[in-house]
Amino acid sequence: MSYTVDFLFLANYWDALLNGLMTTLGITGLCLVLGLGLGFVVALMRLSQNVVVRSVSTVYVEFFRGTPVLIQLFWIFFCLPLVLGIEIGNFMSAVIALTLYMGAIVSETFRSSLRAIEKDQMDACVALGIGGFTKVIYVILPQAILRAIPTLLSNSVSLFKESALVSAVGMSDLMYIGQNISSITFKPVEMLTAVAVIYFLIAFPLTRSVSLLERKLIHKISL
Amino acid sequence: MSYDIDFFYALRGIDQLLEGLKITLTLSAVSIIIGVTLGFVVCLLLMSRSRLLSFPAMTFIEIFRCTPALIQIVWIFYCVPMLFNVFLDPIVMGILALSLNLIAFNAEAYRAAIQSIPKAHLDASVALGLSPLQTQLYVILPQAVRLALPVLVTNGISIFQQSALVAIVAIEDLMYMGKMLSTETYRPIETFTLVALIYFAIALPAMFISNRLEKRLKVA
Repeated sequence: MSYTVDFLFLANYWDALLNGLMTTLGITGLCLVLGLGLGFVVALMRLSQNVVVRSVSTVYVEFFRGTPVLIQLFWIFFCLPLVLGIEIGNFMSAVIALTLYMGAIVSETFRSSLRAIEKDQMDACVALGIGGFTKVIYVILPQAILRAIPTLLSNSVSLFKESALVSAVGMSDLMYIGQNISSITFKPVEMLTAVAVIYFLIAFPLTRSVSLLERKLIHKISL
Repeated sequence: MSYDIDFFYALRGIDQLLEGLKITLTLSAVSIIIGVTLGFVVCLLLMSRSRLLSFPAMTFIEIFRCTPALIQIVWIFYCVPMLFNVFLDPIVMGILALSLNLIAFNAEAYRAAIQSIPKAHLDASVALGLSPLQTQLYVILPQAVRLALPVLVTNGISIFQQSALVAIVAIEDLMYMGKMLSTETYRPIETFTLVALIYFAIALPAMFISNRLEKRLKVA
């Protein structure tokens, strides 16, 4: 059996792939925003003095980092509706699963950048009478984010790549559409390569900018 | 609609799950061994002064780091047999896909480690009259492995987790067995929870070791 490679037929399916890409980007964007918020809150929780708060957040992070995303997604897709007794559908399951995944890895990033903020600053906050919410918003958050930017960016690339998993619960993202077209047309080589190239074209510049940013930021904060 | 939690069925299928776990562990272990060794070789190619060696290595690494693992696995499964007319055992294909992915990530880990070795060590090797091969083997390699170790362990854990993706191309690993069992028994909650706990029970000690290693390195 020989297989003739013919990339020209891809032109017919261009808009389908673009549609899939939009779904992929939409889910990634949504979960990125939600995950960043969740991750920051969880990072603060892990540094809390309250044992209950600390252990709940630790168990969450360790569990989500310690199990495959695919099983998290399946659990949420197949089991959560049974537990809650309501239909949540594949879009919601995908968003919940990826947000929880992102929250867990981002919280680790924030945690290490929070630990890098010196104790002196906390003392300064006490001396200036800044406390609670104001301290978090004006002193901790800006510094934590600045230091965390390169890692956050690479976390986002991971999220973008992991989003391909939502095809397993029938979300019509780039991966799903690519796989479907490849089995309909019997042209997996061209189709799957095209899908891989699209993923690559988005992830590659982002990955590159991570190392660039790292160098720039290290200069700026001179850690 | 109410659902009574009952682990009876899930536990009755435990043999099936353990069969799957064996495949998962085989896939991960073989990929980790290949990834740790060939990762270093690819890293040396990457850092070579000849563009003829460094460019292909860089392209390889970037392709595998910048595309989803799922598409790598699916691509290798569907396209390798078609393009090259080779038909391998599914498990071998799984190992191929996972280890290529891990080689790329480990090569990056080694590179970062080697770059953090002070240049003075290289000068010292020249001063001591060590050959380039000796320098690599006795000066660079031991330090690179030690510095890269926490990242290598982390990458190993993540390939263990990525190995669940092979279930999508119907390799009968833990994930696949879990999915089958949950459909057979109509007990998704118990089976998926059990499967997740098995993955977690294996990953947790490894995560603990990697944290330890990182702390020890910071002190050193």
